[in-house]
Amino acid sequence: MTTEAKDIRWGMVIDLDRCTGCGACVTACQAENNIALTDQQGFAQGRNLQWLRIERYWEGEFPHVRARFLPMLCQHCDDAPCEPVCPVYASYHTAEGLNGQVYNRCVGTRYCANNCPYAVRVFNFTDPSWPEPLEQQLSPDITVRSRGVMEKCSFCIQRIRRGKEEAKLENRGLRDGEVQPACAQTCPPGAISFGNLDDPNSRVARMARSPRRFRLFEDLGTEPSVIYLKGGGHEHPG
Amino acid sequence: MKKLVLPLLLLCASGLTLGALALLYNLPLDTRDRSPAQPIPFSHKLHAGDYQIDCRFCHRHAESGPVAGIPDVALCRSCHEHIATEKATIVQLKGYWERAEPIPWLRLHQLPDHVYFTHVMHLRAQIDCRYCHGEVRTMVQMRRVASLKMGWCLNCHRDNQASIDCWTCHI
Ligand code: HEC
Ligand code: HEC
Ligand code: HEC
Ligand code: HEC
Ligand code: HEC
Repeated sequence: MTTEAKDIRWGMVIDLDRCTGCGACVTACQAENNIALTDQQGFAQGRNLQWLRIERYWEGEFPHVRARFLPMLCQHCDDAPCEPVCPVYASYHTAEGLNGQVYNRCVGTRYCANNCPYAVRVFNFTDPSWPEPLEQQLSPDITVRSRGVMEKCSFCIQRIRRGKEEAKLENRGLRDGEVQPACAQTCPPGAISFGNLDDPNSRVARMARSPRRFRLFEDLGTEPSVIYLKGGGHEHPG
Repeated sequence: MKKLVLPLLLLCASGLTLGALALLYNLPLDTRDRSPAQPIPFSHKLHAGDYQIDCRFCHRHAESGPVAGIPDVALCRSCHEHIATEKATIVQLKGYWERAEPIPWLRLHQLPDHVYFTHVMHLRAQIDCRYCHGEVRTMVQMRRVASLKMGWCLNCHRDNQASIDCWTCHI
């Protein structure tokens, strides 16, 4: 199905009842986006570079506890707290509802990360490095960020670009589901969907109308583009 | 007399500063060599001009992807096995083939890593090679004519209603 909607507003729906916390999305994201590996010391200092992480928490009282998982990534807020605080406009809003981050514009003040309620922006405290032979899998489509630059999830902008280019070269519109970020493509139980929220018939738009929907910290008024689904499955009545 | 020394000194100082600024303003920011000598004196004038070989015969990927591509030695050989075989430059060319080495061409057009450029989208927009690379058909030695600065890209994008969103070129 071709997207009828003229405008694009990218959005993601994550079904938490499907998420098993396996972490495949985290690995896929790391590999797709030239994200540097963090060593033990970096982790201990809280300097791990991850655009996507799995938050684990426990529900219920012992002995009836169960582990729940929540993939946390840039929420691409419509009213993003990170954008107005950037003194050099490296963090900006694209016409398609994405939170842009222009690495070469970034001067590393880290205001944006401090203002992000989701703590999804990560800072390059050191120059990136990859143990051999991992440096050979770097993607030429995107920048290798250097020291002193803030980075974060881009909804795999390089894949969005490629999808749009392919569609243009074939003189057609983007198809629903044609563009998939690495995390969505990898997720074994298919918990992550990605698409155009402005097209009422797209998969994400339909799922976003589910009564199981919620968004993170909705009361902050950040208007995230990532919508989570939870509850209502047979294992979680109510 | 003494009264004049300070104003005169000040005048000299400001004159010098102005001169230095004017010099700085006029100095080229881009000091890279725009037309270095290549390992083999390959002439675009001869091949693309006089003999009318199509650009895309050699730069095969311009139509289909981001990079245009420099032809491999096998493509040169496909002609030069028979053409001008006794010339010194062609003997040199054959040497690369026999040693199974790529020719170490010096690259003239190279954008920094933080810029994403793609040939195919520009060719689709019917932009001829010469808008960006100049009159290649008359160049005996390849020369870079465009500054490849951001303003250069943006000017044309503005004129053609192409995207000027940062994430078009910086991803
Ligand atoms: C016979 C094959 C051949 C043809 C035809 C040809 N080229 Fe080339 N081109 C080359 C080779 C080999 C090089 C690398 C050596 C050099 O820079 O002179 C090159 C280099 C270039 C470069 C510089 C690349 C860089 O950044 O170093 C440009 C630009 C270019 N060609 C454009 C053109 C255009 C435009 C045409 C058509 C008018 C054309 N070429 C036709 C073989 C060819
Ligand atoms: C389509 C055929 C063709 C291809 C492909 C081709 N050439 Fe040529 N080349 C010619 C012709 C024709 C001449 C002119 C010969 C003459 O004038 O005697 C020539 C002349 C030359 C000369 C000048 C020889 C001299 O000293 O007079 C050089 C150097 C040369 N080519 C290098 C190359 C290189 C390097 C490549 C590969 C990138 C290449 N050519 C690919 C057809 C070709
Ligand atoms: C819109 C401007 C534009 C047009 C049109 C254009 N080029 Fe380029 N070309 C560039 C830029 C910019 C680079 C540097 C790319 C980089 O560093 O990633 C480049 C690089 C090249 C290179 C060397 C690097 C590579 O990509 O292999 C060749 C060869 C080349 N162009 C040939 C061509 C030919 C042949 C055509 C016509 C079919 C053409 N270009 C049309 C802007 C253009
Ligand atoms: C001579 C004019 C011209 C120059 C110079 C030029 N562009 Fe373009 N570019 C265009 C046009 C026209 C399009 C629109 C293609 C379309 O909409 O289909 C385009 C499209 C693009 C696209 C794809 C946009 C899309 O919507 O898919 C990218 C990326 C791009 N240009 C990058 C660059 C970069 C980087 C430079 C400078 C190094 C540059 N361009 C220089 C004319 C130019
Ligand atoms: C049409 C393509 C294009 C667009 C759109 C574009 N840029 Fe650029 N930009 C470039 C190119 C090409 C360079 C490299 C210039 C050079 O090598 O000197 C560059 C360089 C830069 C640099 C300098 C980086 C450095 O370290 O030297 C900054 C900062 C920058 N761009 C910011 C932006 C911002 C912010 C936006 C959005 C408002 C933007 N650019 C939009 C093509 C583009």
